Order: sequence, then C-alpha cells, then structure tokens
Amino acid sequence: MTYFARRIGFFVLTLWGAVTLNFLIPRMSAGDPAQAILEQVAAKDGYVDPAQLEAVRAMLGVPDASLWAQYVDYLKNLASGNFGVSYTYFPYTVTDVIGDALPWTIVLLGTTLILSFVIGTLLGAWVAWRRNTGFDAVVTVGSSFLGTLPFFWLALLLIYVFAITLGWLPSSGGYSGAVEPGPSPEFFVDAWQHFLLPAAAIMITGPIGWMLGMRNNMVASLGEDFTRFGRAKGLSARVLAINYGARVAILPNITGFALALGGLVGGTALVEQVFNYPGMGRLLLEAVANKDFPLMQTIFLFSTVGVLVANLAADLLYGVLDPRARRKEAA
Amino acid sequence: MTPTTTRRRAAVRLVACAGAAAVLLAGCSTADQGGGAGASRTTDDGRIAYLNLGNFSNQSNPKANYNPFSTTAIGPLWTIYDPLMEVNKYDCSEAPQLATAYEWAGPQEMRLTIREGVTWNDDEPFTAQDVAYTFTLLKDYPALDTKGVGAQLKSAEATSDTEVVLTFDSPAYSIKDKILETTIVPEHVWSTAEDPATYTAEDAVGTGMYTVKSLNPQAFVVEANPDYWQADKVKVDELRFSKAAEGQVDQLRLARGEYDHNSMFVPDVENSYVAKDPEHNKYWFASGSPISLYMNLTEAPFDDVAFRRAISQAMDKERLTQEAGSGYVEPASQTLLVLPGQADWLDPAIPDQGMVSYDPDAASQALTDAGYALDADGKRLGKDGKPMKFTFTTPNGWADWTAAADSVKADFAELGIAVDVETPDYPTVEQDRLTGNYDLAFGVRGGLCSMYQSFAEPLGSANTAPVGKKATTNEVRWQDARTDELLDQLEVTEDAEDQKPIVHELEQIMVDQVPFVPLWYGGKWFEYNTKNATGWPSADDPYAGSDNNRLIYTSLVPAED
Repeated sequence: MTYFARRIGFFVLTLWGAVTLNFLIPRMSAGDPAQAILEQVAAKDGYVDPAQLEAVRAMLGVPDASLWAQYVDYLKNLASGNFGVSYTYFPYTVTDVIGDALPWTIVLLGTTLILSFVIGTLLGAWVAWRRNTGFDAVVTVGSSFLGTLPFFWLALLLIYVFAITLGWLPSSGGYSGAVEPGPSPEFFVDAWQHFLLPAAAIMITGPIGWMLGMRNNMVASLGEDFTRFGRAKGLSARVLAINYGARVAILPNITGFALALGGLVGGTALVEQVFNYPGMGRLLLEAVANKDFPLMQTIFLFSTVGVLVANLAADLLYGVLDPRARRKEAA
Repeated sequence: MTPTTTRRRAAVRLVACAGAAAVLLAGCSTADQGGGAGASRTTDDGRIAYLNLGNFSNQSNPKANYNPFSTTAIGPLWTIYDPLMEVNKYDCSEAPQLATAYEWAGPQEMRLTIREGVTWNDDEPFTAQDVAYTFTLLKDYPALDTKGVGAQLKSAEATSDTEVVLTFDSPAYSIKDKILETTIVPEHVWSTAEDPATYTAEDAVGTGMYTVKSLNPQAFVVEANPDYWQADKVKVDELRFSKAAEGQVDQLRLARGEYDHNSMFVPDVENSYVAKDPEHNKYWFASGSPISLYMNLTEAPFDDVAFRRAISQAMDKERLTQEAGSGYVEPASQTLLVLPGQADWLDPAIPDQGMVSYDPDAASQALTDAGYALDADGKRLGKDGKPMKFTFTTPNGWADWTAAADSVKADFAELGIAVDVETPDYPTVEQDRLTGNYDLAFGVRGGLCSMYQSFAEPLGSANTAPVGKKATTNEVRWQDARTDELLDQLEVTEDAEDQKPIVHELEQIMVDQVPFVPLWYGGKWFEYNTKNATGWPSADDPYAGSDNNRLIYTSLVPAED
C-alpha cells in the first residue's frame, strides 16, 4: 500500500510545483499584455494612440496587485475551474477559446497517436520476430532514415504534391469557411478533407518511435532465459512470440503511450502551424506572442496536468502489473 | 515602412517562407477556397456581386465581437457602423457622415448638427439621442474610450432631435478629429447590455453601409444595407473578408488576383505583384507617419544639440529608403510634417522643406569642432575621452526596421562611432523606450491631421516622465519651456490660419534643436485589382487615404470590360 500512497503523494507535490511555476514563469517575462495586443493594431500604420493603450489596460484590468495576492487568487480560481478571460479574445473566457481549439487537436492528434501506436507496436513485434533478416534490416534502417527527416520538410512535400500539384486536398486550415461550421454532413466532409494531409504528415514519422522501441525491447525479451526455457519446453513459435516476447516488451510502450495521451492536450505547435490547423498548439503560440497570461497558463496547466495524471496512471498500473516495482519501492 | 508584414514571429515566418516556396514551385494552383478568376462579377443591374478582401481579425481563431470600441473586435467594423464624420487621412478634409456640420462655441463646447432620416439596420430611427448616449458611454467606461475623447468630456446632451452639444473639461480643439471619428452606437440596443465594456454586440446594429451576413473563424461576409443613408452610392453587393494565409502564401494569393484589395507589405511589388497582371494589379503606397531616430536625451552625448545636429546630417536617408524600405518609402523632412500632403503647414523660412542633406564630412567636422575628437584608430571619443559606443534596439522580426537600424549603424560607423544593433521582442523594446532605458531606437510619432497631437505627443513635457517611469508619448524626453508654451497656445487655437505661425515655430525647433531625427515616412500599403471594380484611390487620384474605407467603398463602380 505504501507504494500507492507514495506515488499519489509525489503526484500532489509535483502538481503543486507545476501549478506554481505555471503562475510564476509568465510573469517573469518583460512587457505588458496591453502593449502586446496593440502591437497588432499598431502594425497597421505604426502609430499608437496613447489613449488606446490606456483603454486596453482598463479593458484587461492588467493586474497591479501584489504577486502574493495574485497567487492566492490564481489558486482560488483554479480550484473553482475559473480560468479567467483571455486577453487576446477579450471578452471571451479562456474556457470558450480552448473549447474551440481542443476538439481539433484531440481529433487530429488522438487519431494519429492511436494509429501510430498500434501500427508501430505491431510492426515492431513482427520485425523483432524476424530479427536479423533482410526484412528487419530494411525496415529498421529505412525507418531510422525516415525518422531523421525534418517533419517540416515532409509536411511541405505533402502539401506540394497533394494540395498544390494534384490539387486533391486543401493546403491549410481545419475547414474552408465556405461551409458554416456545425454538425452538418457538408461540414464534416469539409473538415475531413482538411484533416487528411496533416494526419498523413504525422503518420509518416509517428509509428517509427513505437516500432523501434517495440523491436528493441522484444529482441531483448526474446533473448531472455525464460524465452529460452519456453523454447526448450517445445512451445510453438507463435506462443513464444506473443506470450513470451511481445507481452513483456510492450510494457514500456504502454507507459509511453499513456504519457503521450496525457501530453496530447498541449497540441503540437509545429504541425498546427505548418497546416494552419485551428488547434491548441497554434493557440499556445498566439497566447505567448500576445502575453495572454490567462490563456497561456491554462494551456500549460492542461498539458502539465495531463502528463502528470498520465504518469500517475502509468505508475499505478505498473504497480498492479509488475510486482517487482512494488517490492523495490518498499525495500 | 511600417512593420505591417513583419509582426509575425520567427517560427511563423519560417513556416510561411517554406510554404511559399512550395507554392511557388507549383505555380500555385491550390485547392483553397475560390480564386479571383472566372466569370464577370458585374450583375445584370450593373452592380458588383462581391469583392474578395483580406484579413478581418488578428486572432488565429476569430470569435464574434462587433463592439466597435473593443480592441479585440473583428477588424472591418466600418462596414457596420458610421462615425460623425470621416476624416480624410490624405488631405485631412472632413466628409460628413452621421453629423452634417459642427461648430465650436469656445474651445470647450462643440455643437453638432445630426443627419436626419437615418435608420439603424434594425429599422429603429437614428436620433441625436444616440449620439449623446455614445459619448456618455465613452465617458462612463474608460475601457471603451480608445481615442481618449471620453476622458476629456464633461457632458453630452441632445438639445433637439438634430442637435448635440458636447462640453469638455479642457480645450478640445486638438481632439477634434477624434471626436468626429467617434463611432456611433444605438442606445436602444446598447442600453440593454449588462456591461458595455465586455459587450460583444452580437446583433451588430449599426447605420453603416453593410450588415453582417455570416461570420466564422475563416470568413466574414457582409451584404449591402438597403436602408443605408447613401445606399445609392454603394455598388458592391457583398464584401468577403477571409482569414489570411501565412505571410508569403498570402502574397501569392494576392498576385494571383484572389484579392480585389489588400493592405500588405509585398517585397519587390513590381515583379511579384504588378507584373503578374499589369493591366489590373495596381498599388498605391502613400506616406504615413514618419519613423524617427530617437536618441535618449537624458544621456550624453545626446543631450548636446551640436551632436544631434551632426547626426541629422550624417543620416543617409536615400540609402536607407532604398535598402531597408525597398524603395517604397520616402525620406522624411526634419520638420516632422508628412510631405507633400502637409505642405500647407510648412514654414517657408526653413530651407529645402526641412530635408537635411546628407553630408558625412561636414557632420564629422562638426563633431570634432564640438569636442568629440577622433583618436588614432579613427574612433570617435566622447567628452570623457573614451570611444563612444551605443546600443540600438529594434523589435525582433521586423525585418525592415532591422535593416534600417543597420543603415543607421553604418552612418554612425562613418563618423567613427560604434553601434550595436540588438533585437529583443517587441514588448521589451516598447517597454524600454517608454521608460527611457535605451540609447538609440526608432519611434513613430507625428504625421497626424491634428498638428497639436503631432507635435505635443513627442515634444510636450507633459507627456514625458523621468527615466525609469513610463512616458506616455514623449519617449525621447524632450523638455523645453518654449516648446511647451507653443503647444499650450496651439491647443487653444481653433483656426488653421492662426495655428500656422505656432506650427512654424515648432518646426523650427525640430530643425534647429533636433529633438529627434525623422528618417522615413511609413508606407501605407494598398494593393488593388481593377478587374472587378474601379474607382480605387491612387497616386493620380488621391481622393481618400488608403484607410478611408467609407469614402472608397462609396466610390467604387463596376469595371467597364
């Protein structure tokens, strides 16, 4: 039982640390949000009316309370699920803004993550079973090579071929705007077309990590004594591969998968930026650029908490799955 | 040149460039929404069916906000609402809109005559009461007062259905343009808002030439308002604003004729835009507010007028406008006026219209004479005998400004003075400039229709603050009794003819004492396509400033062919 208590205690402590850092870090950077917002307005003709700066400050209610008072407020608001009003999207709340972006990220990244994990793990297991064959060499070396290609470059190549040259798919955005967003079949088709390219771009490199991890783990587990013992007992190759090799080798991959699921809410800035996809990653870039503290903090918070919760879940799961973990901790 | 295109972060820029490269290779046939080519847009009854226009929001996922006083509202709200008068940003003339006339009863009282027969787009009549309500709203809610009119307002009263009297706490001649440009909102709608400061006015009730047809994060479409008070002048049925693609992809869309009008910075505009369709692709880059070299006047040697004069002579503005400004922008006059637009205000006694001629040798000699000697290595020494070395701060990612800073650096190097160009992010630069924590920087002041504002903002001692505290607008920290005296006079002088001698003396202060050095006029990017609509303002026909949309969209007519 101490194992679980310790894990949970550790989780609470990390969570507090993360929440506090999340509060402090944005406030340590220079400049005020009113100016950052006006930068965009100013850019139109370069001249900023000082009255406008004052009005924006009044509008945002840019904090001038002491840091401690702000911190206490911040904790109170977090506890009540009130994340405040976004500066960039004033007067809309952070919850509204994130509510718009989160589904896009979850659908895009969630789908591709699950697909990557499944494909990668299966392929990894297969390659490991046929280790040291030509097939293994081709897949391992080939995917290592593919994995080193910058994502950015791959994405542009896809845009170039499928959006520009062939004209089959749109080059950017999550939907076209010609169809009103809503739960209509037209919009679904529109969004689906916009989904394909970014998803394909992610899927090219997505499974590689899972595959290599699975292969290496399984090659190791197939070399273990218990596998050799199983073979000596006369078990079939199939049983050896699945019950002795894959079953042990998949454990670290499952932890990795849980963590990746947790980190998903943060979105991926790179993918979303290249494809102009209306998800969390792009929102985060915008929040940082505009010194939009409430929005920035909430996105950071979501992704930190996501990872921590996933980590905790993985830890607890490990405790159940692997008695050695519990015993080691107790010792 | 203004930072129009340069505001995006480096990461974004990288993406955009690479994206553009890919698009370029392919000759850009994209599957993105609708190109500009195709059938004629002229309808059977001789109108223009629609025009494709550029961006409508700075937000990446724009949300509905039609509050015209909100900085985070969507952009083209001129389509929905009208001001009292439209101030022509090119020649500073006034085009009556919801007010037909105004007069001053002393510097603290303005009487407005309100247009009759105007209705809101929800069919309620527009009255003087709405005008009084709007001004009172700005007074009561500082968060809405983006032009600073409400702060100075004492009261706003409708004395009849067509007359409104505004009274002010202090002389208000200098904010005349801001008063006239105030957007008027309907009392019968706004008075029901719970908190006007956070009100998003989703019904978008206005008197303007268009009404909202649809809005989603990718597109904003407005359709002509049949009850607009000068509906006969509006020939375009629909305006379609679309979310900009990133940087250079958007430039390519422009070059392909996908936009009928846009305001973006385009590198090498002749080749990358005009040449793609010389018959229809046109542009007009008028001069805007000057961008100036600020030298922190609280530091030596910038507190020495002889030093500043020498620097103003040493600036090679021609090279700067060619290299950093792509040749789109013009060198600025030391008088702080925007020439030739404001030539009326120019003091004839000032030689060459205040265009200080570039003469590095004379500047070098002047510095030596003023006690800044050159050492054996060619380094210019300060009065403390040490080589001078300054830091120039300019925002990260504003490529044109950075190039201009390099040009200034080269001019200083010519004099034997070392300058380091540093590029922190914009908020840092802005913060440091306001608090006086800089050596050299660029600043944008002046060039407004209000002469008082143009000169008082950068030169009035009321607008500065000690180093370490934020100045409102006088970031160079110019403090001069005579300047303040002139500004006080100017503030209470209504008539332009009476203002002129005062403005002339302020120009002389700029030229003789060089509080800062105007370098070049910010470009007002304005590209237009004549395939579907003609009647755009241009260098040959500058009937409106490039941002006077209400004047432009009541002048457009269908293209002949």
